[in-house]
Amino acid sequence: MSTDRPSRTRTRTRGAGPDPATATGAAARGPDAPPPRGGAPRRGRHAATAPVPLGPALAFLRDVRAGLDAGSNPIAALAGATAGLPRDVRDGLDAAVRRMSGNYHEDEWGFDEEFTESVYPLLETMYDRWWRVQAEGVRNVPAHGRALLVANHAGILPWDATMMGVAMLREHPLPRYPRFLVLNWAFELPYVGSTIRKVGGVPASPYNAMRLLEQEQLVAVFPEGVKGTSKDFKDRYRLQRFGRGGFVELALRTGSPIVPVAVVGSEEIYPKVGELPLLARLTGAPFVPVTPTFPLLGPLGAVPLPSKWRIEFCDPIDVSEYGSDAAEDRALVFELSERVRDTIQQKLYENLVKRGSAFV
Amino acid sequence: MHGRRILITGIGSYSGTELARRLEADLEVEYVAGLDTRKPRIQLEKTEFIEADIRSPTLLKLLPQTDVDTVVHNQIVRQPGPQLSARAMHDINVIGSLQLLAACEKTPTIRAIVIRGSAGIYGAEPAAPQFFTEEMSRLYPLRTRFQRDVGEIENYFETYSRRHPHVTCTMLRYQSTIGPSVDTQVTRYLSLPVVPTYLGFDPRMQFIHEQDAVDAFVAAVKRPVRGAVNVAAEGTMGLTRMIRLAGKLSLPLLGPAFNPTVTAARRVGLFSFSPDFRRLLRYGRGVDVSRLIEEVGFRPAYTMEEAVADYVATQQGRRMALTVRQAVAAR
Repeated sequence: MSTDRPSRTRTRTRGAGPDPATATGAAARGPDAPPPRGGAPRRGRHAATAPVPLGPALAFLRDVRAGLDAGSNPIAALAGATAGLPRDVRDGLDAAVRRMSGNYHEDEWGFDEEFTESVYPLLETMYDRWWRVQAEGVRNVPAHGRALLVANHAGILPWDATMMGVAMLREHPLPRYPRFLVLNWAFELPYVGSTIRKVGGVPASPYNAMRLLEQEQLVAVFPEGVKGTSKDFKDRYRLQRFGRGGFVELALRTGSPIVPVAVVGSEEIYPKVGELPLLARLTGAPFVPVTPTFPLLGPLGAVPLPSKWRIEFCDPIDVSEYGSDAAEDRALVFELSERVRDTIQQKLYENLVKRGSAFV
Repeated sequence: MHGRRILITGIGSYSGTELARRLEADLEVEYVAGLDTRKPRIQLEKTEFIEADIRSPTLLKLLPQTDVDTVVHNQIVRQPGPQLSARAMHDINVIGSLQLLAACEKTPTIRAIVIRGSAGIYGAEPAAPQFFTEEMSRLYPLRTRFQRDVGEIENYFETYSRRHPHVTCTMLRYQSTIGPSVDTQVTRYLSLPVVPTYLGFDPRMQFIHEQDAVDAFVAAVKRPVRGAVNVAAEGTMGLTRMIRLAGKLSLPLLGPAFNPTVTAARRVGLFSFSPDFRRLLRYGRGVDVSRLIEEVGFRPAYTMEEAVADYVATQQGRRMALTVRQAVAAR
């Protein structure tokens, strides 16, 4: 496995015209450019002696104050005052100011590539350090054009989907962002729904999947749905029923190849030993799990256990030969659905053996 | 060869007046009549203004006299206003449409009916298809009074169209209009000093630019197609981003606190949001416009992003987005 991270494709099309923040920022840095990062800040006598760069911070606050006194609104005052700050901080602030003024791009689904990139480092740490994910066969995912990733689903919270996304971005020679079909309930929740949308999730409706595939996107589905995420720890790595084979219909109708994906490791992150049905009914949640740490430790129970993971992307199954009318053929749909399910189940067992111990 | 003879209801509205102005300049159109209780917004050259209430039975006598071949129904009210109670709105929408259809039955010359309906019929649902196509209007229950009104109107016209196969009925399902000269719930919302939002929700919004709204209307009148057609700009925009581009401050309210707050605001006369608009602010809505583009043959000139940008650029007053740009430029 290569260790250096390939540069990700930039398909972003920002709003009209050049980015005002970076364009003018670069020009302003021209004549009396501050020294390179880490050097002494442009102004502030304190900085030379103080171990913490107090100087720039104070100067920054002074400038904000001056901006506010001059009658600008708070955001404009912040934007105007960032010049004296170290470059990292300044870039961060510039980006924040740019977003606060609405200068960012979302596609028609609400996917915000910039936001997704900004949370990526955290997810990458989880991928590398926490779960030590080993991904195999990423090249089986088509580099462009429509395709359907079909994976097993486990572990209460959709970390498996997230890690599949990271694997695609990190390991694929031509990385691309997958779009996820997400449990509808999530979109009724404040913050949860809007965040999921920003990182590429859409409500799990076949209409959405069809449109995404027709737009040549990579779509990830989890046919087990809640049945997969809510199963007990003792049932781990036993695939549940694959719905009614809706994903096969989708693939047939749009002529998209199916890439089965087996994820090993997600079953151990929240070992579920029971459920709280009353709480689920009160909150409208599909289920409320009991794990060794939840609800015992409260919010700490949301910290996933550091199991060891393997993700295998299997050989794509080309269904274009059947034609789009084959989507009406129930027998064929069930047959293909079973074939995908069997592939994933078998790969799960293989990877369990390859992984060895679950945590070390 | 005879030109088209067209009657427009609700000519006193922005879209009614603009449509009449465009149609009377059209060489294919021989005669335009406008029906309303309010006068057209501007002095129209050739349009005959018929002052009548769409709810009154005199319509049954008036319409057959005009010998029109096309009726454009542009009097479906979207929100109760200060002078218009919810009751009167219901009457205009439902009883008015019924009267109009009854009058159409008595007018044998009619070949086409074009209705300016609403995409509100799809509702705003948390996990709906992100782009409603025309056949999805029955996916969810009709939750608000306006939705039920629109549903009823659509049923009437569907029945009429089934019974009169020689008449082409076009139901245009409009998303809200945005633009410098229209006064809609959206523009009123964005012109508030502080805009209330649902805490933690960033719904996808989709509107249509006022010019496109009129152009689409003209296109549909000139080339009526059977059945429903969605009318909206291409693309969607998150509400948060729209508010930021408009340079507004948002006031995020906790879900359960939203309705009491807007009710209180309405009592003291600050603003009023219809239940439909409140749901839209929470869950958003997008529609698919391929039928408009492919069958009516009209592609909106403004995308959603451009429509919002055009609206923002023409607004007066304090604009935070601009001051930020100035501050960055001045640095």
